[in-house]
Amino acid sequence: MTTAPPTGRRYRPPAPLGGRRRADSPAHRTAKAAAFLAPALIVLGAFTIWPMLSALRLSFTDASGFGDPEFIGLENYIGVFTDPDILNAVTNTALYTVLFTPVAVVAALGLALLLNNPRLPFRGFFRTALFVPFVVSFSVAAFAWSYLVDPQVGLLNYWLRGLGIQIGNVLEDPHLAMPMVVLVAVWKLFGFYFVIFLAGLQDIPTSVYEAARMDGAGAWSRLRNVTLPMLSNTMAFVLIFAMIAALQAFDQIYVMTGGGPYGSTQTLVMEIYESGFRKLDIGFASALSYVLLAATLLLSLAQFVFFGRKEKDLA
Amino acid sequence: MKRKTVLMGGAGSAALAFLGSGCSGDGETGGPATLTFWHGYTEADGDVLQGIVDDFNASQSDITVNTEVKTWASIDDTLLTALSAGEGPDIVAMPAERLPVYADKGALVELTSFYADDSSNTANLIPGAVAMIEVEGTRYGVPTGFVPLAVYYNTALFEAGGVTEFPATWDEWVAAAKQLTVDEDGDGTPEQYGVVLPDHATVANGLWPSLFYGNGGDIVSEGIDAVIDSPENAATLEYWRAAIVDDKISPTGIDGVGADELFGAGKAAMTIGGPWMASIAAENGIECAIAAIPAGPATQAASAIGVSMAVTVDADDNARAAAEQFFAFFLNDENAAAWSLGSGWPPLRTDVPAEAVNSNAVVASLTEIADLGRPLLPGVVNSVDVLAAVDELTQRAIAGDDIADLLAQAQETIQNAL
Amino acid sequence: MRTRLRGLKPSTVLTTIAFVVVTALVLLPIAIIVLTAFKPAAEVNAYPPSLLPGDWTLDNLKTVTSELPFARLVGNSFVFAGGVTLFALVFDSLAAYALARLDFRGRKLLLIVIIATLMIPFQATLIPLYQLVADLGWVNTYTGLIAPRAADAFGIFFLRQFFLALPRDIDQAARIDGAGEFRIFRSIVLPNAVPALLTLGLFTFVNNWNDLLWPLVFTTDAEMGTITSGLTQLTGPSGIVPHGVMMAGSLIAILPLVIAFLFIQRRFIENIATTGLK
Repeated sequence: MTTAPPTGRRYRPPAPLGGRRRADSPAHRTAKAAAFLAPALIVLGAFTIWPMLSALRLSFTDASGFGDPEFIGLENYIGVFTDPDILNAVTNTALYTVLFTPVAVVAALGLALLLNNPRLPFRGFFRTALFVPFVVSFSVAAFAWSYLVDPQVGLLNYWLRGLGIQIGNVLEDPHLAMPMVVLVAVWKLFGFYFVIFLAGLQDIPTSVYEAARMDGAGAWSRLRNVTLPMLSNTMAFVLIFAMIAALQAFDQIYVMTGGGPYGSTQTLVMEIYESGFRKLDIGFASALSYVLLAATLLLSLAQFVFFGRKEKDLA
Repeated sequence: MKRKTVLMGGAGSAALAFLGSGCSGDGETGGPATLTFWHGYTEADGDVLQGIVDDFNASQSDITVNTEVKTWASIDDTLLTALSAGEGPDIVAMPAERLPVYADKGALVELTSFYADDSSNTANLIPGAVAMIEVEGTRYGVPTGFVPLAVYYNTALFEAGGVTEFPATWDEWVAAAKQLTVDEDGDGTPEQYGVVLPDHATVANGLWPSLFYGNGGDIVSEGIDAVIDSPENAATLEYWRAAIVDDKISPTGIDGVGADELFGAGKAAMTIGGPWMASIAAENGIECAIAAIPAGPATQAASAIGVSMAVTVDADDNARAAAEQFFAFFLNDENAAAWSLGSGWPPLRTDVPAEAVNSNAVVASLTEIADLGRPLLPGVVNSVDVLAAVDELTQRAIAGDDIADLLAQAQETIQNAL
Repeated sequence: MRTRLRGLKPSTVLTTIAFVVVTALVLLPIAIIVLTAFKPAAEVNAYPPSLLPGDWTLDNLKTVTSELPFARLVGNSFVFAGGVTLFALVFDSLAAYALARLDFRGRKLLLIVIIATLMIPFQATLIPLYQLVADLGWVNTYTGLIAPRAADAFGIFFLRQFFLALPRDIDQAARIDGAGEFRIFRSIVLPNAVPALLTLGLFTFVNNWNDLLWPLVFTTDAEMGTITSGLTQLTGPSGIVPHGVMMAGSLIAILPLVIAFLFIQRRFIENIATTGLK
């Protein structure tokens, strides 16, 4: 993933894999590929795609989990688009995504750029330390952070008060709760993106930098004209996965705020969970999931198109 | 549990497209049965329950009940998936306000004939507790707990604050709370609060309903009509907002769990809670006593915390009959008293004599006020949305929003949910 | 130290200081988990709060180990996360190889379908998935826990990107020698992909070790849970989570991962770059 040259990501016409000697028929080639794909496709097909199709079917029914579901046409989808709670969840999810994605990606990229400098002392330690939050589970992370910002006994709250900063009861404040749950997600996940960026950076050949230096390019210019363009594959990869993570935000919200205060952190997946597992309305939860799937797919395609075009511009 | 669906290699089978077909009873009754029973009694109450189950298993040779202890939250998280695949328990206990939705969606078995049977020991159950297992007139389970919310107060702080008599009315209550609120450094944030009144996710969701009842208000009538937008409720919110925000008798922006913690830390003289507050207090070395929530202008009442258990659709006919036998055993004279004493909750049957439970001081005090308990949202299937609307109402009201607007909004949301 | 710093530019010194501060903040929640685990209950809720325990105690750890069958749960976590990682690495790399280096019809569409499986929230497929696993008779078995994760779209996509970047001429010679596709995969592509496999292996292991919903819902038998799902059992009846005990449980849950990570981190971060390819 990390070393794809700028043109490598997009599909290219089949390279002459076996040299001129190859006499493979298309059917033969497909059979060969199928053998490689079979184990993964069986697992994905049975345990992900099949349940997805079941959920699609359920989205047109009044399924509750028990008894025989009845077909109710588009009722659930109409519900999704008319329910004011869903509108609120869409707004919150959008806000979460807009806050999380750039902050997490920029933080990860910035730290990776700085830590790629071989002259920085202790950089091995920093690299390790910054990745550690990623190994902590969301539920534990949420629990630890809730304790840190607790208005009564929270250490962070106490220290900030000492500095004259009153953050009050963050998780009960409708303006601060969302930034807080985003912060926890950034804290937990940026190490993951950071490592991917580090890898991407190390794949840029030093000769490219030297050439740029010879041409008299300063640090800023090297960053803009060499580093960032050469990272664009990695960037596309990280952005897509960061966005998917944001659109499916759930774990730390479930633990820290339960969607409150006043529904201000109620995201779509929280809503899906509540409809399915609290109100036992599986049909509605499935319909909502498919709407989210469609939105994610569209946003991802838009990103692919954007990065694809940028690549072309560069070339 | 016993339903073994044979759909091996079923990834392509259309039968899987729809959720499990529910029960497929074997049709035979009276044979040997092994029942699985999920419950969330994790503390000393769990040991007592286990004792009753063991006694039941020993009392006859056909039926064996196996308990599986989980937290209440994880029962709610896992029950749906397990039941939908025929892998669920035969008997499940859950917070009473969660029962109607499971019953309504067809996850539970109705118990009409069980209640009609004299030998079921159900004749003298507390009516409020029974109301919580009824959905549209049909009974779906038996109560395992029903207790009104009560005030748990720190006797040492009462003594230090010079409050000698427990308040009987709202006005006296607020006055006492003011007297017990201490702001030593005068920074406007008391170090000790007279009372802690959470504004959302309150204990068993019952604090604000209790206050509404006190002034003659309610949330839902007959399980179908939203009645939250009433002048009584508006007055209630105004009254308590003034006490909490202006008089600072309670911290704001706190939830039920936070309230329990604050009381446990000795930073609040009074809290509204359930029987477990007594053990939290004891663990934290706090001497505590129990009193009824003081009377409001209209009446004295308290929302009750309920727990119910029910038979699921995963139980076949045989298992159902066995489960009913277990329920009758659980509710018999001896166990009704034993369970009350062991769980620390008042007896579920009104005919258990007071002497039978006097040995437990907590139970004795709670039994005295048991009449005040009102079931929370009985028969309301979509309690999730109703309770969310109440939470938003109270939280915003305490934060200072316009009460009339909030009530109108809550009225609409709740009516839609019903 | 002083002498080492003397040779540095002021900007580097500033950056270093900034990193120390950032790292300290990033590690603060970890520190609070570790330190609170050793605090007595009275200090956990004391005001003013302090970072370090006044009295170090093992009570919280004792409580956790008596309330949870923690050795069993940690063992289950190893079986679950380890099993998933092994299978996923094999299956994902095979599929990624085909998607990156073999030419066949429908390749692009297949890739989109695979990526789309990541876009539906797990909560939506949980019930149909559980029913399937139940119908296969795998409830409360390791097979049932591991099988649904034995291949995953992220891993396939991740490795595909990596394989795409491997120069094509490296397998040319082998092909001319008449090596079969599988031999090329096994003896040429895989050895070059060790850093990527290591990275993916770590991600997969960590993600499954930390997964809550699947093991929680799947294992109705408490003995089959993982340490992450087991921690939910520490919540008290009224919803109060005893902080000290929970932190001790969390410490037990994260310790194996941190140790494993520290053990391989040098190899991991240095090697994640495709060193053989420059």
